[in-house]
Amino acid sequence: MEIYLPIAQMSVHWIVILGMGLAVGFLSGMFGIGGGFLLTPLLIFYGIPPGVAVATTASQVTASTFSGMISHWRQKTVDLKMGGVMLAGGLAGTAFGVYLFGILRRVGQAELTVSASYVILLGAVGGLMLNESVRTLRAVRAGQPAGGRKPGQHNWVHGLPFKMRFRRSRLYISVIPPALLGFTVGILSAIMGVGGGFIMVPVMIYVLRVPTNVTVGTSLFQVLFVTAASTVLHAVDNYTVDIMLALLLILGGVVGVQFGVRMAARLRGEQLRMLLALLALAMALRLLYDLVATPPDLYSLAVSAT
Amino acid sequence: MKRLALLFLVCFCAAARADDLVSGLSQDQIEITSNYTGTDMVVFGAIESMDSANAARDVVVVVRGPAANMSVRRKVRIAGIWINRDEMSLSGMPSYCFVASSRPLSQIASKQTLQRYQIGLGNLQPTKVSTHRPPKAVPFIQAAVRERAHDQLYAEVPMGVEFLSYSLFRVRVPIPASVPRGQYTAEVYLFRDGAVISAQSTPLFVNQIGLERRLYNYAHTWPLSYGLSTVLLAVFLGWLSSVLFRQR
Repeated sequence: MEIYLPIAQMSVHWIVILGMGLAVGFLSGMFGIGGGFLLTPLLIFYGIPPGVAVATTASQVTASTFSGMISHWRQKTVDLKMGGVMLAGGLAGTAFGVYLFGILRRVGQAELTVSASYVILLGAVGGLMLNESVRTLRAVRAGQPAGGRKPGQHNWVHGLPFKMRFRRSRLYISVIPPALLGFTVGILSAIMGVGGGFIMVPVMIYVLRVPTNVTVGTSLFQVLFVTAASTVLHAVDNYTVDIMLALLLILGGVVGVQFGVRMAARLRGEQLRMLLALLALAMALRLLYDLVATPPDLYSLAVSAT
Repeated sequence: MKRLALLFLVCFCAAARADDLVSGLSQDQIEITSNYTGTDMVVFGAIESMDSANAARDVVVVVRGPAANMSVRRKVRIAGIWINRDEMSLSGMPSYCFVASSRPLSQIASKQTLQRYQIGLGNLQPTKVSTHRPPKAVPFIQAAVRERAHDQLYAEVPMGVEFLSYSLFRVRVPIPASVPRGQYTAEVYLFRDGAVISAQSTPLFVNQIGLERRLYNYAHTWPLSYGLSTVLLAVFLGWLSSVLFRQR
């Protein structure tokens, strides 16, 4: 059965969209990611206009991160102060990103920017994760313990001014890196519809050295607000949020997450990360192919009512 | 506008002629609801003929959607990547166009006549293009037509006019789900010996109704409140799922 989307102005098979939400939710629960970076390209492949795909995915990520954030809140693994600093940067980044996206849409480069950003990010993150998971797998096979955080080790982050104490993260660092990280993720959220967890988590763990359990909760907190802001700003600036599409994606997503979480318990961490890395790389290659291959029609058309 | 004036003139003059054209639509309103997947509309009509049966007559039916602004972009390869570079904006192109005729258009009338009435996908003209040299716009106009035809919003069916008897005819007009809302016109032209001898134009409305319409209007009238509602919906469903999950 088909359902008509009022903003995208096209009909879609609701089972397909629900299935996409379910599948992405499943992966999101399995890997502990928002899943936006998988959902936006999927929707674009299905034929949803990129603008609507980006804006609506942001609302789907809002739902899944809220669900995750609640459980972290109960476990007290959300560093509100750190989250607040990142959020300040994040909201500025989102506003800038939505503004930028509007300009790109008007000059006809939005599609290219979205695709190219995805190729670069998925390629980089997928490559890094694949490398890391293969090394861990080898190390485990060779009988060595997996490397973790080395406490007390200092890096360039500790040389910056405006230091602040983050009690829950057990850190005393400058506010510049978390604010900057938030800003970057805010722009990405606006342009790509992603929450940015897949970038934020590694940076928080490896660069800021936030404890792993606090990292996930705090990143969810930040992503929740950034994607919520992104949804509202896209609705106001670009009229591209489709509430029907959002509803279907969210319904599929929240159910998928539950199955994903159960599945994750049965698989090993390195194997999971390797699977995710391969998935990200495959997606990057597919998008890269579209950018490089000669298109069937060199002309493209954008229509607006008078 | 010129085309409409012309049409009006033809209608007016036709009254005095021997052949008279009567036409109608199966529905004057098409409503897009949540399970709308496209429908067929029927344009039907009759030619009331006074003279002998051997005159060569042709019927052409054109259904046009509301005018739209189109921007057509051409990609070029820069450093191995295809990038949109040249852009042309075309105003006043119909957002939807369906043309059916009793014979191929080229056999019915001359190119000039067809162009004057903008009959046929090859004869659509934007009212304004963003260039001072109109010939430059031609490949862009052709690309726009190609793209719309690919989306099934432009179509031309050379034998689409079905004669049920000597004077009675019928045309099936597909209205796909992606049609824009607004006022459409169904134009019926009667040709004889390559000239329009009678024409009729009937308005048709395509509307989103019910929930879809309200959502669309809501999103465009109160975007801030619409955005906030979407977020609230997301947060509520997220909360609901976490509650349900905890109880299991």
